[in-house]
Amino acid sequence: MYLYVLQFSFLRIMSKRKAKEAHLPIGECIDQVHLILRKRFCHQQLPDKLEGVEAQHKHLVELLKRTAVHGESNSVLIVGPRGAGKTTLLRSVLRELSEVTEVQKNLLQVHLNGLLQTDDRIALKEITRQLHLENVVGDRVFGSFAENLAFLLDALKKGDRSSSRPVLFVLDEFDLFAHHKNQTLLYNLFDVSQSAQAPIAVVGLTCRLDVLELLEKRVKSRFSHRQIHLLSSLTFPQYVARVQTQLSLPDDFPDGKFVREWNAAVATLCEDKSVEDVLRRHFNSSKDFRSLHMLLMLCLSRVSVAKPVITPADLLDASRSCLADAQANMLHGLSILELCLIIAMKHLNDVYEGEPFNLQMVHNEFKKFLQRKSNSMYNFEQPVIMKAFEHLQQLELIQPADSSSAKTQREYQLMRLMLDHSQIMEALQKYPQCPTDLKQWATSAFA
Amino acid sequence: TPRHATPSIPNRAQPTRRPANVLEEARTRLHVSSVPESLPCREQEFQDIYSFVESKILDGTGGCMYISGVPGTGKTATVHEVMRCLQHAAAADEIPAFLFVEINGMKMTDPHQAYVQILQKLTGQKATADHAAALLEKRFSSPALRKETTVLLVDELDLLWTRKQNVMYNLFDWPTRRHARLVVLTIANTMDLPERIMINRVASRLGLTRMSFQPYTFKQLQQIITSRLNKVKAFEEDALQLVSRKVAALSGDARRCLDICRRATEICEHSAADPSAAGLVGMVHVMEALNEMFSSAYITAIKCASTQEQLFLRAVIAEFRRLGLEEATFQQVLVQHQALCRVEGLQPVSVSEGLAVCRRLGACRLLLLEPSRLGVLQRIRLNVSQDDVLFALKAD
Repeated sequence: MYLYVLQFSFLRIMSKRKAKEAHLPIGECIDQVHLILRKRFCHQQLPDKLEGVEAQHKHLVELLKRTAVHGESNSVLIVGPRGAGKTTLLRSVLRELSEVTEVQKNLLQVHLNGLLQTDDRIALKEITRQLHLENVVGDRVFGSFAENLAFLLDALKKGDRSSSRPVLFVLDEFDLFAHHKNQTLLYNLFDVSQSAQAPIAVVGLTCRLDVLELLEKRVKSRFSHRQIHLLSSLTFPQYVARVQTQLSLPDDFPDGKFVREWNAAVATLCEDKSVEDVLRRHFNSSKDFRSLHMLLMLCLSRVSVAKPVITPADLLDASRSCLADAQANMLHGLSILELCLIIAMKHLNDVYEGEPFNLQMVHNEFKKFLQRKSNSMYNFEQPVIMKAFEHLQQLELIQPADSSSAKTQREYQLMRLMLDHSQIMEALQKYPQCPTDLKQWATSAFA
Repeated sequence: TPRHATPSIPNRAQPTRRPANVLEEARTRLHVSSVPESLPCREQEFQDIYSFVESKILDGTGGCMYISGVPGTGKTATVHEVMRCLQHAAAADEIPAFLFVEINGMKMTDPHQAYVQILQKLTGQKATADHAAALLEKRFSSPALRKETTVLLVDELDLLWTRKQNVMYNLFDWPTRRHARLVVLTIANTMDLPERIMINRVASRLGLTRMSFQPYTFKQLQQIITSRLNKVKAFEEDALQLVSRKVAALSGDARRCLDICRRATEICEHSAADPSAAGLVGMVHVMEALNEMFSSAYITAIKCASTQEQLFLRAVIAEFRRLGLEEATFQQVLVQHQALCRVEGLQPVSVSEGLAVCRRLGACRLLLLEPSRLGVLQRIRLNVSQDDVLFALKAD
C-alpha cells in the first residue's frame, strides 16, 4: 500500500510537469489499472452517480434533508436483497447531503450495525460514544446500562425541534435489532421520532422483506411505515453496459494512449459472443453486483505486464471457477475405497428411498459388489473401511441422521448421504483414472 | 459520571427553516409529534379520567385505574391532556396541588428500575433498585403532616411483569395505604391483561376501574386530521375521506393516518412541476401513498428476481403439487429445477449454484429454510402463498 501511495504521488508530479500525453512504462500502467479497478471491486468505491435508483435516491435525500433543515423527525427502512446496493445508496445520499452547508454543520450521525451491537447494552454505549454525551470520557462510557438509557433519553428529551442538532441513526442489519430483548432500543428511537423531542431520523437497512412482521405491535405503530425498496429491474443489455463501465478506466488516467487501448479492448470484450454467453449465465443466476464484482476481480487478477488486456478466455476461466460445484470437486480428491463406499450409499438410497443407513449396511452392499466381481483388489479389512467411513463423515459428505451420536456404537449409527446423485455420477466421469468396473457398478446395481 | 450532569444534545449551528408553502405548513401540523391543543373524539374518555383523578385529589385518597387499547388510539395523549388541565386547575387554586410522575415500562432496562425512576422523579435522589423500593415504601406508608397527592402514570404496564410480580404488587398496593395519597394510572394494550398475567392478589389490588379506548372510526380520523390542519387548506375532502376510511378499515391507528397524509403531501410536492405552485393533495397522491405503505413487496420482489430464482420458485411449487405437501427438501426441488432449466433451454444448474439461489431467496424470506449446514437435505417452505407466486410469475 505504501508503495502505491509513493507511486501515486510520483505520478501526479509527473503529470504536472509533462504534457497530458505522457507515456508511462507498461509496468506502471498495469499497477495503476490494478489500483483503480481493485478499489472499485473490493473496496466498494462509490461511483459518481448511481444508476437505476433515481427515485429512491431522491426520496431519501428529501427525507434526510427535511430532518436536517426543518428538524422534522422521520423513520425509514431500506429493504432489498443482499448486494442490491443499500449501503451504497445511503452513502451516496450522505455524500450529496454533505455538500449542503446547513446539513454539514448541523447533522450528527450515529452508525450502528446489528452484527456488532448484538444487544441493547452495547448499542447504547456506542450511541452515547458517537454522540459525545457528557458521560463519555475519552472512549469510555460511564454508568450502568439503566443509567445510560436514562441519560440518553433525557438528552433527547431536553432537545427540541428548532434548537437542537438533528441526529441521524443508521441501523445496518436492522432485522437483528428486532431480536433484542423487548426491542427497547427500537421502541425508544421510534418513540423519539414520533414525539416532540430532539429531531432524529432513523434509517434501517435490511434484506428481509418481512421485517415489519418482526416488530412488536407498539414498536410497529411508532414506525412511520416508509419503506424504500431496492429491487432491481435490470435488463441484460444494462448488465453488460455495467460490466463495461466497471472495467473501463477513467479519463484522468496518466497515460492517454494506454487508456484508449484498454477501453477499446474492454469494448470489444463486451461484444464478444462467448463473453456474452458467460455474462448471460451469471445474469440469469443473480442480478446482484457483488457477485459480478467477484467475477471481474478474478479476471483482473490475470492481467499482468506480459498480458496487459483481459481476454474472453480469462472471463471463461473466472466464470468456471465461480460456478464450480464444491462438493463434486471434493469427490475428486477421495480414495477409491471411499468412492466405493459412496457408490454403495447411493445404491442404498435408491433401494430404500432415502432411508438412513449405517456402516454395516454400506459394508454389506460393498461386499455384494466384491462377490460379483470376484475381484480381490478392493478386499479391505473392516477397520480400514471404518476409517474411510469416518473420513467421509469428517468431510461432512455424510451426516448423522439424529444428533444422539454418543449413545450408539459407531457401526450402527444411522447416517444420511449429503450428496445428490447427479454429483456422484459427474464426479465419477471426471475422476482421474477411475476403474471401469466402478463406473459400471455406479450406473447399475447389478454390474 | 459527573455528579450533576445535564444531559443534552448540542445546539444547532444554523437555525431551522420556517415552512415555506402550504404543503410544508401542513406537513408540520400533521407530524405525529405536534400534539394539538385539544384532542378531538376523546371527550368522553377525557372526562372520565379527569373526574376520576380530580375526585381522588379532592378527597385526598388514592386509587388505581387501568386503561387499555390498541396502539395509536390516543391513550397516552389523553392522560397527558388530563394532567395538563389538572395542573392548570391546581395553578389556579381550584384544586389542591399535586405531583405528577410518569414512567414507561419500555424506557427502562429492567422492571425493578421502576423504583429508581419513581424515586428520582419524586425527590431527585439516586439509589439502587432495592434501596429505592425501601425508601418509597417508607414514603407511602408513613403519615406526614403536609402531604400532597401523587399521580403516577405507568405506561406499557405489561413490561413490568416479573416472576414474583412484586413490582406490580407494590405499585397497586401503595395506593391502598391510608396515608399514601397515590393515584396510579396504568396503560397497556390488551384489555384482559389483569386476568391473563396477574396473580390474584395483584389483580384484586388493581381493582375494577377500567377503561378501554376503541379504535378510531373513519369519521373520527377525519375529524382528527381536519382539526390538526386547522384551516390550512392542503387536502381535497375526498382524499381525506379515503385515507381515514382505509386506515379505519385496517387498524384505526391515528399515527398511521397522519403518516400517510404526510407522505401524500410529499408525493404531491414532488409530482408538481413547480414545487412552490403545487396544488391541493388529491386522490392520486393519496392513493400512491396508501399503496406505498400498505402493499407488500413480495410480488415485486419475485418479479424482479433473476431467471434462476424465478425458476426455483416454480420448481418449489411444482414439487409441492407433486407431493401434496407444503414442504419439500432441496434435493427434491432441485430435480424439478433442473427439469425446468432443460425445458427453458438453459444450462442445468449445479448443486452449489442451486444452493446459492435457494439461500438468496431464503435471505430475503421468500422461502423459509432450515440451517444451511444440512446441505441438500434442508427442507424448504414458502413464506408467501402459492397464488401470489404464480400471479407474480405469470404477470409478465
